[in-house]
Amino acid sequence: MDEKRETLIRLAAERLLFDLSEEECRILSKEAAELEDSMEEAAKIEGLDDYEPMFFPFECESAALREDEPVAPLSLEEALSNAGETVEGMIRVPKVVER
Amino acid sequence: MNYLDLSIKEIHAALVERKVTPLDLAKEAIRRAKDSGDNCFEIILEEQALAFASSLIEPEQDNLLWGIPYVAKDNLSTKGIPTTASSEVLSGYVPLFNATVIARLKEKKAVLIGKTTLDELAMGGMGMSGHLGKTFNPYDPTHERIIGGSSCGSATAVASGIVPFALGSDTGDSTRKPAAYGGILGVKPTWGRISRYGLIPFAPSLDAIGYFTRYSIDAAILLDALAGKDAQDASSSDAPFGHYADSCLTPLAAPRILLLDDIIEAVRDETIRQKLKEAEEALKKQGAILTHARFGEDLLAAIRPTYIILSGAEVCSLDANLDGIKFGLHGKGQTYESAMKDARTRGISSLTKRRFVLGSYSLLGEKRDALYLRALKLRRKLVTRTLELLSGQDAILTPSALTIAPKFDAAHADLSEKDKAADNHLTLANFAGLPSITLPLGYSNGMPFGVDFMGHAFEEEKLFAIAHSFEKIVGICGEYAGFRKEKHGI
Repeated sequence: MDEKRETLIRLAAERLLFDLSEEECRILSKEAAELEDSMEEAAKIEGLDDYEPMFFPFECESAALREDEPVAPLSLEEALSNAGETVEGMIRVPKVVER
Repeated sequence: MNYLDLSIKEIHAALVERKVTPLDLAKEAIRRAKDSGDNCFEIILEEQALAFASSLIEPEQDNLLWGIPYVAKDNLSTKGIPTTASSEVLSGYVPLFNATVIARLKEKKAVLIGKTTLDELAMGGMGMSGHLGKTFNPYDPTHERIIGGSSCGSATAVASGIVPFALGSDTGDSTRKPAAYGGILGVKPTWGRISRYGLIPFAPSLDAIGYFTRYSIDAAILLDALAGKDAQDASSSDAPFGHYADSCLTPLAAPRILLLDDIIEAVRDETIRQKLKEAEEALKKQGAILTHARFGEDLLAAIRPTYIILSGAEVCSLDANLDGIKFGLHGKGQTYESAMKDARTRGISSLTKRRFVLGSYSLLGEKRDALYLRALKLRRKLVTRTLELLSGQDAILTPSALTIAPKFDAAHADLSEKDKAADNHLTLANFAGLPSITLPLGYSNGMPFGVDFMGHAFEEEKLFAIAHSFEKIVGICGEYAGFRKEKHGI
């Protein structure tokens, strides 16, 4: 396995907050290598570099602003209904500041 | 024959004439759903559906969807009903609002009878990565063949006659490929034509809400109900939309249709090739003006890697909210990051995780130019080529897939898949935001296959008109697994 690629794969996974098994890392290294080969091949397409990057199919031509409409906000009970752990009307999370 | 086997328009006529009630239809759909052994449901909403159907007493003559049962892919938010996108990471999540498409169908008084399985978070094409396991092709009682994904459950529900229509979503070909493998219609409208508010996103620059039906007229009826601007979705278009159900009945005079030879030549199944030839001849006889062209094999080969990179890059930033804290699977850990890592690692399957990681890898500083930036340029190049070919034409015709539905053990979960260059062409409609519709074309060894028409942005009227004429040529529309017209002498 290409060690540099493996290091980058683990970095990419870490940025996503995923743990990777050895097996997952091995498969991903192979897939990433093949993906890079395919993109190297695609780079030979004539004139490719002259094309601007394309992020969306086309511009959203929405000129009008919508009217303001009053809506009822979520109740506290609703807002907390999907949280894993709550305390005193708030979502409980692990401590982020050490004492 | 049961009323549920008819087109929406025919069922509506029976409802208006009080030959059948919404409750009768809902009961029959739920019975069929429960009898299905194809693993296409996340949840069957028996109690809610029967209660709602019972409340529908006075038929609404001008509302074709009144009392019609349907199902929705489980990546569409449903208020008060669990929505998992077939991922453990969303287990226990109950949305507090309805997706706009669900709300619009509720206004129309269509009856939601269940939520359907999908490839986890809609990230797959084989219908086997969801947390409930494989969803099966109803045409194969041995359960060896895929229906395809990611909208596997919705496709199977329509292809097995449970409901006349089903909602799905389409990022790469996730309604059209399963439609082809299931012998039904799959519609991906123009990007922005249908509001995506409430869709659990995969790749927003590619995502569209799509749907399945058994008749082209039903597909047009659905777009009449679902199209239009939505203040909740800034990307939804305010481009005018037509009365599709009326306009599709008028055939286009001499439609101009382009056939892509490099995709047709890649078809491996002789019966599919033969049926394509027959369809071409029949279209000519009907006055269609047909042209042949090649897309370019080097460009076709670039579709798959471009898609993997762009969709992966988009999903890895979007799904950062799957943190195991605010909703879904509850993560455990001493720190916020470790709790999040716990939920994401436990809650997301290995295959899906790999797609995320490849997206993240493509965005790393040392890979960004060679992968992500190049993929963005390739997207432009592929779209430019597509629009060049479409120019002066009403539609581009291709086989929807090169084969009948493959067996699970032959459908590799290899994300590189270099050998299937010509089998990813339906994704061009996602890159370009174009509407695309797959229709049934025939059967090979008892398994269905389909054909696809891709048209100009916001010109769904033309596609539906072409589809309506085409399904008359083919003569098998309305069929589903276990219900073949020739067996019923139709």
